[in-house]
Amino acid sequence: MISASKRILLFIFGSLTSVFAQSTLEQQFKFANQLFTHEKYFDAITELKRLQFFDIDNKFSFQSNYLIGKSYKAGAKFDEAVNYFTRAEMNSENDDDYFTSKIFNARTNILRRTTKQAEKILNELLNDPRFISKEKEINYWIGWNYIFSDEWEKAFEVFNENRLDTTLAELCKTVDDEMYSVNFAKYCSYLIPGLGQFYTGEYVSGTLSLGWNILFGYLTINAFIEDRVFDGIIIGNFLWLRFYSGNIQNAEKFAIQKNLQISNKALDYLQYQYKGEKP
Amino acid sequence: MLKIFYLIILLSSIMFSQQIDFQSPENIKLFADFLFCDNDYLRAIDEYEKYLVAVDDDLVQFKITIAYSSMNDCENAINKLGLIKKTSPFYEQSKIELLKSLYLQNIDSVFYAVAETLINSKSLYANNAYRLKNTALLLSKTELPEKESFLIPFEVEEKKTISDFYNLKKNPPYKSEALAGVLSAIIPGSGKIYTKDYGDGITAFLLTGLFTYLAYTNFEHDHPTRAWIFAALGAGFYVGNIYGSVASAQIFNAKVNFEFNEGVKLFLEDKKYFTPNYDFCK
Repeated sequence: MISASKRILLFIFGSLTSVFAQSTLEQQFKFANQLFTHEKYFDAITELKRLQFFDIDNKFSFQSNYLIGKSYKAGAKFDEAVNYFTRAEMNSENDDDYFTSKIFNARTNILRRTTKQAEKILNELLNDPRFISKEKEINYWIGWNYIFSDEWEKAFEVFNENRLDTTLAELCKTVDDEMYSVNFAKYCSYLIPGLGQFYTGEYVSGTLSLGWNILFGYLTINAFIEDRVFDGIIIGNFLWLRFYSGNIQNAEKFAIQKNLQISNKALDYLQYQYKGEKP
Repeated sequence: MLKIFYLIILLSSIMFSQQIDFQSPENIKLFADFLFCDNDYLRAIDEYEKYLVAVDDDLVQFKITIAYSSMNDCENAINKLGLIKKTSPFYEQSKIELLKSLYLQNIDSVFYAVAETLINSKSLYANNAYRLKNTALLLSKTELPEKESFLIPFEVEEKKTISDFYNLKKNPPYKSEALAGVLSAIIPGSGKIYTKDYGDGITAFLLTGLFTYLAYTNFEHDHPTRAWIFAALGAGFYVGNIYGSVASAQIFNAKVNFEFNEGVKLFLEDKKYFTPNYDFCK
C-alpha cells in the first residue's frame, strides 16, 4: 500500500512535469506567434514546425497548422497554405476552429484563383447548420469569390441582397455596367461589319472594317453580275470572306480586351485602396 | 526532514529536466532530420548549420550538400561538397555528387576534368562517373568515341537505351534544308511535305497553282492588270514557299535535337545521375 503522502507526492510530480513540458511548448508558440506578428514569416514557419515536431501530444496541432497556413498565405505560397489550413481543419477541436480554418482555406483558394474549390468550401459552410449565425460572413467571401471569377453581376447580387458591403456592391455594379457583352460585339459584327468595334469604342478599326467589307463585297457581287463567276469566287473567298471573318474575330477580341482592362482596374482599386477585409 | 529535503531537490531537478530545450544540439539535429525528410530543405540546411556550430558531424555536412543538390542549388552544393574532408566516410559519395552538380551546372572542361580524375581513381564510384561522363558526351558537340568502347561502363539493361541514343547522335534523322528548298522550287509545297509539314505543303501547292492559273487565264483573256496582280501573288507564294520549306527543315531539325536532348536528360534523371541511393529517411 502506498501511503497517502507518497500518493500526493506522485500526483504533484506527475502534474508538474506535464505542466513544465506544456509551458515550454506554450512559450515556443508565443515566440512563433511573435515572429508572425513581426511579419517574419519564414522564421515563424520554422518555429511552428519545431513546435509541431516536439508537441508529441498534439496539443498545439490546430494553432500551429493554422498559423503556418497564415504565414504561407502571407508569403504568397498558396499551395502550401491550403495544405496547412486543411491540416488545421482536421485538427480543429471546436466548431469555431473548424470554421476559421475552412474560411481561410476558401480565402486562399480565392487568391490563387482556384475559385471552384473556394466555391465548394463556402457552399459546404453555408449548408452546414452549425454555422447559420455566420451566414453573412460566408456570403461576404462568396461575393469575393465571384469577383475573382470575373462574375461581377453575381458578386453585386450577393453583396446587395445580403446588405454586406455597400462599397463593394456599388463597385461590382459599376464594373458590371461598364463591361461589354462579348457575344453582342461578335454577333452585331455578323450583321454590320465594324459595328462590334464601334460598340467597344474602336472607331478607326470599325470604319476600316466596314470600308474593306464594302469594297470587297462590291467587287465580289460585281464579278458575279458580270458573269465572272471564277473571279467572284476567288475575290469572295480570299478577300471578302477573310475580311468579314476577321472583322468578327476582331470585335470579339476588342470586347474581351476592354473587359479585362475594366476588371483589372477594379481589382487594382480593391488591392490598393479598398479598406475593408480582403481575401 | 533530511529525506524531504532530498526529495524536493530530486523532484525539482526532474521537473526542470522535463522542459524541452529546443536549441540543444541533439534536438536541433532531430528537428533538422525531420525537415530534411519532409523535403523542407531550406529550413533543414539552416538547422544543420546551427548544429554544426556545436558538433562536427560528417553525416550532417554531407546531408547539407544533398539538401542543396535536391533544391537544384548547384553552386552551393559544389561549395559545400568541396568542404567534405578526406577522412569523412562520405568522401567517396561526395565526389560523385560533385560530378552530378557540375553536370547540372554546365557541361564544360571542369566537368570533364573532374570526371576523368574520378574515373582514373580507385573510387567506388569510378564506373558511375564513367557512365555520367559518357551520357553527358551525348549532349555535347564533342566527337563520340567508338560505340563498343562508349558502351563499356554501362550495365546490361542500360546498354540498349544508350546504344539507341548513340545511333541517333551519330546519324540524326535530319532533313536537308537545301533539298527542301530545291524540292519546293521544282514542285511548290513538296519541300514542306518532305519535312512532314503535310498541311502547309498541300496548301502551298494549291495556292501557287491557283494564282498561276488565274494569272495565265487573265493574260489569255486580255485582262493585264488583274493578270499581273495574280502573277505577283503567285510569285510571292512561290518564293515564300521555298523560303518556308527551308525554315520548315530547320524547325524539323531543331525538333529532332530537342527531343534527343530531352530524352537523354530524362534518362539521366531516371538514373539519378548515377549517384548512390541514400537511406537517410528510413
